[in-house]
Amino acid sequence: MELKRRSLLAAIGAGTAAAALSGCGTGSSAAGSADGPAEGEITLLTPIYEGANGKTLLEKQILGGFRKKYPDVKVNVDYTTYTQLNEKITTGLAGGLLPDVLMMGVGWIPPFAAKKAIAPLPEKFATAHDYEKRVLEPSRYDGKLYALPVVLDTRIVVYRKDHFAEAGIKKTPANWAELRAIAKQLTKSGRIGFDPFSIELRQCWETFLFANGGQLFSEDGKKVLFTDSRGVEALQFFKDLSKDGSADYTKKTAAGAPSNVQTGKASMMMTTSALWEQCREQSPDLLKDDKLGCFVLANRRPAMLQGGTLVSQSARSKHPAAARALVEYLATPESILGAAKQRGSVPGLKDLNESGYVKENKFVDLSLRNMSAARSEGGTAAWMEIREKIKPTLEPAIVGGQSAKDAIAELGRLAEAAIGRM
Amino acid sequence: MGPGRRRQRAGMFLVAPALLHASLWIGLPVIASVVLAFTKYDVLTPPQFVGFDNFRDMLDDAVFRKSIVNTVVYTFFTVPFGMALGLLMALALHTGLKARGIFRTAIFLPQVTATVAIALVWLWIYNPGNGLFNTLLSFVGIQGPAWLASTSWAMPSVILVGIWQGIGMKMLIYLAALQSLPKELYEAASVDGASKVRQFFSITLPLLKPATFFVLITSMINAFQSFDQIYILTDGGPANSTTMMTYEIYKSAFREFRVGYACAQSLVLFVLLMGFTLVNRRMMGGTRGHS
Repeated sequence: MELKRRSLLAAIGAGTAAAALSGCGTGSSAAGSADGPAEGEITLLTPIYEGANGKTLLEKQILGGFRKKYPDVKVNVDYTTYTQLNEKITTGLAGGLLPDVLMMGVGWIPPFAAKKAIAPLPEKFATAHDYEKRVLEPSRYDGKLYALPVVLDTRIVVYRKDHFAEAGIKKTPANWAELRAIAKQLTKSGRIGFDPFSIELRQCWETFLFANGGQLFSEDGKKVLFTDSRGVEALQFFKDLSKDGSADYTKKTAAGAPSNVQTGKASMMMTTSALWEQCREQSPDLLKDDKLGCFVLANRRPAMLQGGTLVSQSARSKHPAAARALVEYLATPESILGAAKQRGSVPGLKDLNESGYVKENKFVDLSLRNMSAARSEGGTAAWMEIREKIKPTLEPAIVGGQSAKDAIAELGRLAEAAIGRM
Repeated sequence: MGPGRRRQRAGMFLVAPALLHASLWIGLPVIASVVLAFTKYDVLTPPQFVGFDNFRDMLDDAVFRKSIVNTVVYTFFTVPFGMALGLLMALALHTGLKARGIFRTAIFLPQVTATVAIALVWLWIYNPGNGLFNTLLSFVGIQGPAWLASTSWAMPSVILVGIWQGIGMKMLIYLAALQSLPKELYEAASVDGASKVRQFFSITLPLLKPATFFVLITSMINAFQSFDQIYILTDGGPANSTTMMTYEIYKSAFREFRVGYACAQSLVLFVLLMGFTLVNRRMMGGTRGHS
């Protein structure tokens, strides 16, 4: 048969289309059994343990202990950051090279579990340690356990005790009306009363939404619930603070840079427990002089966003027993305590509540004492898409002229469309 | 077999590796992305054919529309200003300037420096607290804005970085073109009494037409594909004021797991670029200015 240009192009096109439509869909079956012996070479993808110290902690201490227990398992570590975790997973899935063990954030479990990218874990893992009731909720999807918590990152309010004392303020705000009044009172000569914007806008708004009695989605994750007045009020509160001049979006600081509370440019700020470790390195005098206090945001109810890092097992691992053993090991108190110390995060096990680390870090201690007020983001299989829409959709209401009602309505439309595509 | 046939075969043999490379690494992905543009594909599950749904979604996507506008605005400012500055610097370096090697290297340096490193330096320059710009402005009693956090200033700030970073390549191409211009034309013009300015507009500029066309097209393509500086400097914000088409494509594919939609967005970017290139070619009469 004579090979003609047109037939050659048609063959290339058909081949590519077939590859795109079938070959790109990654396989779904695991090669081995999770109940067999733990052996083989596996990969761990982690967005934590960053930097030289984190790497030493993971590879020498944590994985050192794992190697002793499971000498037939070799673990390769793929380090990344939370910013690039999505890309790593996407490219891993597309290339059929998804790591055997994945660490991911709160809210990420339903999307990956719904698509069968991660494997369910035995229920006995949930009772192996003494977990706070709320801590395991983000690890579940459809009633099944898919992950175990490693560290938690709560969102609390940290304030300057010296600023409060100078202004004669004796107690922390119990609701938003008091918060706004105190923020206004403390705003003077270039200092802002409250900085809610130096953390991710998505997580900040969610904390306010939860404190206002609202929620993101229905139990089954199929209905958007944040579009009611509670969600609007949460966003409107930022606009009101900005209008008062007691919050300023342009004065937010970058992650890792000295925060506004540290430099005295703000009297209160929404932050995570990690600020304690940051202060220890950058402004130890603030801790030594006991100038920092903390409280849980409250309006209709007290609420604290519970983020964190969970560890899960890929459903496509060729060595599921080894992967499962690593998941279990990374969630033991010894591994968790090291990871929490390194990041200044909250360990999610009651076993560690009395540890020296928890007692020393007051922000962690406050978080653990208020775990009943913890609420998590996510809860829908469409979360990976929706989470990306929140910041850019709400930002125009804060820095532009858009109303809070319109911004929330727009976000609601986008979220409903994303859920509809599932 | 005649000599013509043999030469044809030899030619085919020589271009085969390049053709194979282009087919595998350019042709197939292009065809795959065109096919995927008509599917719902999230990497986790096999693609499903959805017809024109992705394109319909794009019409409703206000942020993607905004990104098209931003990309056009960014291109409109970075390309002509960058070209004018590149030509001016090439003209300056074409003269007998002392230490011109150092100047050429200095101007070209941003081109070969990683954008991430450049963006980190500019992050400091734009820092509202202790950045270079606001520190300099404070010397004359002006309180500078939060350059990258303000909806009014973020885009001009990004454009400035884009212009600065692109000058080196434009300068280099113009410099090479200037060095190849025939000297006898200038000698004849001098004999006829033409001033330097007249020589520039009547000889240099028309003879630089092929180089200008090349610089224009490559600069436009580069501007339309700007990504790194947005990723590092602004993350598309504030309030989507600096988001670009490539950044939205990246977000759709890698952050939202909407690969099919990202392919459809890429197709729109491709069509726009092709359209601009054809219009430019028609307006400039192709590369026939100097042969």
